[in-house]
Parts: sequence; structure tokens; C-alpha cells
Amino acid sequence: MKEFMLFIRSEEEPKANLSPEQLQQHIEKVGGYIKGLMEKGQMKSAQPLEMDGKILSYKNGKIIDGPYNETKEIISGYYHLLAKDLDEAIAIAKQDPRFEEGIWRVEVRPVKVVEGIN
Amino acid sequence: MKNQEDNNANVLTEHFFRNEYGKLVSVVTRYLGTHHVETAEDIVQETLLKAVDHWQQNGIPKNPQAWLYTTAKNHTLNILKRKKHQISKWPINPEQADNELKEFTTSDDVIDDEQLKMMFVCCHPSISENSQVTLILKILCGFSITEIANAFFTTTETINKRLVRGRKQLKDAKITFSIPKDIGNSLDIVLKTIYLLFNEGYSPSQQNKIIRKDLCLEAIRLVELLAHNPAIKQKSKVHALLALMYLNAARFEARIKNGILVEMHKQDRKLWNLSLMNTGIRYLNQTTKEDSVSEYQILATISGYYCVSPSFKKTNWKAILHLYDHLLTLQDTPLIRLNRCIPLAKVEGNTKAITELINLNHNSDIENHYLYHATLSELYIQEKNNNDAREHLLKAIKHCSNNRDIHQLEKKLKKLVPIH
Repeated sequence: MKEFMLFIRSEEEPKANLSPEQLQQHIEKVGGYIKGLMEKGQMKSAQPLEMDGKILSYKNGKIIDGPYNETKEIISGYYHLLAKDLDEAIAIAKQDPRFEEGIWRVEVRPVKVVEGIN
Repeated sequence: MKNQEDNNANVLTEHFFRNEYGKLVSVVTRYLGTHHVETAEDIVQETLLKAVDHWQQNGIPKNPQAWLYTTAKNHTLNILKRKKHQISKWPINPEQADNELKEFTTSDDVIDDEQLKMMFVCCHPSISENSQVTLILKILCGFSITEIANAFFTTTETINKRLVRGRKQLKDAKITFSIPKDIGNSLDIVLKTIYLLFNEGYSPSQQNKIIRKDLCLEAIRLVELLAHNPAIKQKSKVHALLALMYLNAARFEARIKNGILVEMHKQDRKLWNLSLMNTGIRYLNQTTKEDSVSEYQILATISGYYCVSPSFKKTNWKAILHLYDHLLTLQDTPLIRLNRCIPLAKVEGNTKAITELINLNHNSDIENHYLYHATLSELYIQEKNNNDAREHLLKAIKHCSNNRDIHQLEKKLKKLVPIH
């Protein structure tokens, strides 16, 4: 089994415009999806991220805040998955019911394993 | 581990978020004032978003309602503190907000009271009927602008305009968040607005059936709140409206088959909901406690006669006609006279009803109403007078602004025109 990080990307907060009824459906669908993967042992962890925060960068000999992402898109959450290979990780990601809302992007990245050290 | 399993096993009741939205906005508005109702809506939407993020990872908490109230309370405190210098006229002192908000989550009774106040606020006489209905649906029932637009067969822009105008009026008229002193008159407006809302949901159509049924159920929920609140002493009209809505809602499922409206004489009476019917009859019986007669009471009694009849043919048309006559003494409107023509045709014949309708035309502007021509054409069809039937169907189509009804009328017209 290999490890994968899934970065859930979105512009601002895609759920902000959902109605209360749709928000409830979102919890039921996405919550059920996450719970199912946890029970099968395929999901190591999953967390949403707050909309605020800082990007630190090193410039002219010191660490400065920002500038924050130039694009409007930010990472709004992550999944830490276990899968056989990249194809399986992608297949799992595609089942995420949040895509039914059509406003999310998910980046699937294998965790790098360096032979002899890990 | 056991605990976590228990947590994960919790599920939300149907429409939990939508119902809690209205309750929470009402409770928050108590502390922010009606001129900040939009801020209250934002606070509640934020609260629901927090719940989504938290619950989808960790499962639904044991007491989801308490979770929402605690989160909304903290959020309200933050807003009060953060904006205390920007906005002067908070109903409470932001310095003592911690203390003032102690009662935020007290009890169902408090929550019901706040919803009641919100009902009266949304139906303030200075707000137009359109905006009243829209404010109720958005603020108290937790529907989104898109959902309201779908239910009303209109655009989100139109609904948004009505909301903006309504909220502006709440500010301009400095409407306080309280149950009005002159409760009788205000109650009449609240009932009328909720009845409008119910009728919007009840109007027959193959489209958006689910959301329209939800409108009817929401209307019933709101009037149930009025019926159970001790602040309202005279409940006869409230019970009468409940009876009317339950008795009509009982026939909801039978009215549409395969996306097409089924007229009452063709409905499968086995699809009528007996439990809703019984609740309606129970409320109708309660209306006789007070010595007053209301429009809703008569309309509910008429609906009751339809419900208890074993078949369309055996409907007690005489009693229904008599009730319409009674209704005319309370409220003599062309529309009621128009509806009265249906039992009149059954009791005294189609010709008599047609004469009545033609006379009605001379004394009012009813001929601009498509239902007038639709009813006349139906009577002419039954009299096999296809020429007059056709003429009035065409006029009905001309005066009808609603696509769903135009569609029905055109279908009738096609049946009349012989195929060449």
C-alpha cells in the first residue's frame, strides 16, 4: 500500500452559496464517503482547513508573511489516503460526492518514498 | 472507541438544517435587532458551514441542535464585540453581551416565541405581500433564493429584489422585534400571508412537486406555532386556517398523476391522506369554540364536505352552495362568486351558472381573470356548446400569465378543435 495526499482545492468557500437543505445533503453524502473509507482502512485522516492563515517566504535574508496565494484558489482541506497505486487513488478521489456540486478541484499526489531511508 | 461509534451512528432528522436555520435566525435577531436581520442570516449560514466541516469528518454529534446554538452564540458574541463601535443601535449593550446572551439556548418555548416574533416582523403591514411571503420563506423557512425562485416559477433576480425591498423596509420602518400589541389585526395579516404561501405550494403543476409540497408543510408548521403559543388568545381563525390547510393537503398526492393535474371528479380517493384529513376535522371542530365565523372556517368546511364524501357524485353540493352563500355575506368578491358557480351548476344546472357568470361580468372586471373564462368554457363544454367553449378558452389563454396553466388550457382547446 502506498500513501497519497489529496489536496482539496476551491475558490473561496464553494459551500457558502448552498442552501441549508443542500448543506445537510453535503454532510450526509461527503460524511458517508469519508466514514466508508475510514472503515475500510483506506483513509488515514481527513481535515478541512480554515480559510485564513499565512504563507511564509524567505526573502532578502528574512522570513516574511505572504504574499498570500496570487490566485483565488486555495486548499480548503486534505485527505491522507492509502491505495495500491496512483490509479486506485484517483479512482477513490473520483467517488467523492462533493464533485456533484461541481465547484471543487482535487489534487492527487503520491507521497514520495526514498529507498533506504524510509 | 465505543463512544466514537455511537457518535457516528447519529443521523440528522429530515430538513434539520432548514428548520434550524429559521429558528437560529430568529434567536440571533433578538440580540441584533430587525435592522440587522441580514447579519443574523450570515451568522447562521456561517454556523451551518462550520457544522458541515466538523460533522462530515467527525460524525454527527449527540445533540446537533445544542452544537449549533453554542456555535451561533459564540459567533454572535464575536460580531457584537467586533462591530460595537461601527454600529450604535444594538438592542443590547455589547459590553455586557456575555451576560445578555446567557439565555441564548434556554428552551423550545423561547425558540418558538422568537419565531413568532419573526413571523409578525416579516408580515409587517408596511411590507408588500410579495416581499412578506419571500421574507418568511427565506428567513423563517430556510429556503435559498434559488429554491424560492423554483417554487414560484420565477427568476432568482425577482426573488432577490423582493428580499432586498423587504429587508430595506424592516430598516426604514424601524420595526421592533416583538409581538405587536394590536395582535388581532397583525394576526390577520400573518394568516393571510401564510395562506398565500400555502396556495403557492398547492397550485397544481407537474413541476417542482417536492419543493411545492414542502411549502405547504412549512405553512402548516408556522400556523401550528401560532396555534400552540399562549400569546395568542383568540385562536378560532388560527384553527380554521389549519383545518383548511390540512383538509386541502390531504388531497395533495391525488391531484397529480404522471405529471398531469387530475381534476377532483377523476381523483383516486384512496390516495387522500386520512391522517391529515382527521387532523383537519379535529381543528375544524375546535373553531366552533369561539362565537365568530371566519372566511377560513367556511372554506375549511367546504373542503371538509369534499373530503368526507364517498364519491364526487355524492358530494353534498347543496350544503356547499349554502356555505358559499354564507361566505358572500362575509366577503362579497367576484372570485368567491366565481367559485360559487361550481356548486350552483351542480344544484341548479349549468345554464343557471352560466347566466350568473355573465351577470358577474357586467358588475366587475372579472373578465380579466383567466379562471373566469376557464370556468365558463368548462360549463359550455358540459353543455356541448363548443363554439362558446372555444371562445372562452382562447380568452382564458390570453389572460393567463402562468405557463403551467396555459399548457392545461391549450390541451383542452385541442380536444375541442376537430382534427382536419
